[in-house]
Amino acid sequence: MNDCRKDNLAHFAVTIIGKDRPGIVADTSEVLFTLGCNVEDSSCTMLGGEFAMILIVSHEKPFSKKRLEGEFAAKNAGNGLSAFIRSLKEDEVCYHEPAGELCLVSVYGSDKPGIVYRITRELADRGVNITDLNTKLIGSPKEPVYVLVLEAALPQDLTVDDASRLLEKLKKELSVEISVRLITPVSL
Amino acid sequence: MAVKTIVTYPNPILKAPCPPAGAIDAAVAELIEDLVDTMHAGPGSVGVAAPQIGVSLRVCVIDVSKNRHGKENNHGLLLMINPEILARSGNSVMREGCMSVPDYTGDVERATDVTLRFTEPDGTLRQFDASGFEAVAIQHELDHLDGMLFLDRITSLKTGLFRRKSYK
Repeated sequence: MNDCRKDNLAHFAVTIIGKDRPGIVADTSEVLFTLGCNVEDSSCTMLGGEFAMILIVSHEKPFSKKRLEGEFAAKNAGNGLSAFIRSLKEDEVCYHEPAGELCLVSVYGSDKPGIVYRITRELADRGVNITDLNTKLIGSPKEPVYVLVLEAALPQDLTVDDASRLLEKLKKELSVEISVRLITPVSL
Repeated sequence: MAVKTIVTYPNPILKAPCPPAGAIDAAVAELIEDLVDTMHAGPGSVGVAAPQIGVSLRVCVIDVSKNRHGKENNHGLLLMINPEILARSGNSVMREGCMSVPDYTGDVERATDVTLRFTEPDGTLRQFDASGFEAVAIQHELDHLDGMLFLDRITSLKTGLFRRKSYK
């Protein structure tokens, strides 16, 4: 949802991260519920042994960032969770989702420095907009394998074959496998 | 003939299994026309099921012939009364969206091949095998007749590659 009829709402980006345990989501959403905040969008996942939550929350104005920070500081005192809160400006709330074809890029190979950087720089320089990205170190300690999977919206003038060709030269340079495929949703 | 408004969730008609259509009367004929008109009016739409226009009956229409995923492999415009899938095999994942669940998409696993049987508006019983995108569309539309949405079948919100490691 990205409608702009939200003049009466204050929006915040909330990031919570800490050592994984059952109850992090429940504790966090309890704070938000008690304050009367709405969770408008969120993504939460385990990263290593940490659990990370990123949320966009809203509350009817007037409502201050300090209020949120205060409640999280009280709730999280001594439980190892850190909270970071940022006020969102109007142009961050009223956004346009990237248009264009959606593609999935998978990259994997022996672990080495620079895989994420080289791949994403190449895409950024052509105006490709990454919408999602995961990386993981797999394999054995002796033979570590790096896996990068990302989803990205292509600019109007770039086809999925163009994107594939764009990354082709990095296969040799980084000694990795790279595949690009179209995942634009089908409308049924 | 009329383009109908697409019913969106949480309208309860979308979650109710539809009863079979009885005799193919003028009402059913008109319903099929409305479904076709509504499908053609929806940008990029390849199918509409009766509950999506507010009618709880086992009737739906599909046409993937103009879609890039379906243009090479399809049976044209399908007008289906009381359709049934008799057999399914294979599986593949596609990211689906639905006019009845706007602003959301998700990866759904479907059979790659289905054997379909249905009654045509002239009363003929028709049976054939469909595959690829047409098979996906058939499964999606027939789900609507059973009160199922793609949200009930999402396998992953994002890339489904990573199996959780244990960190101890």
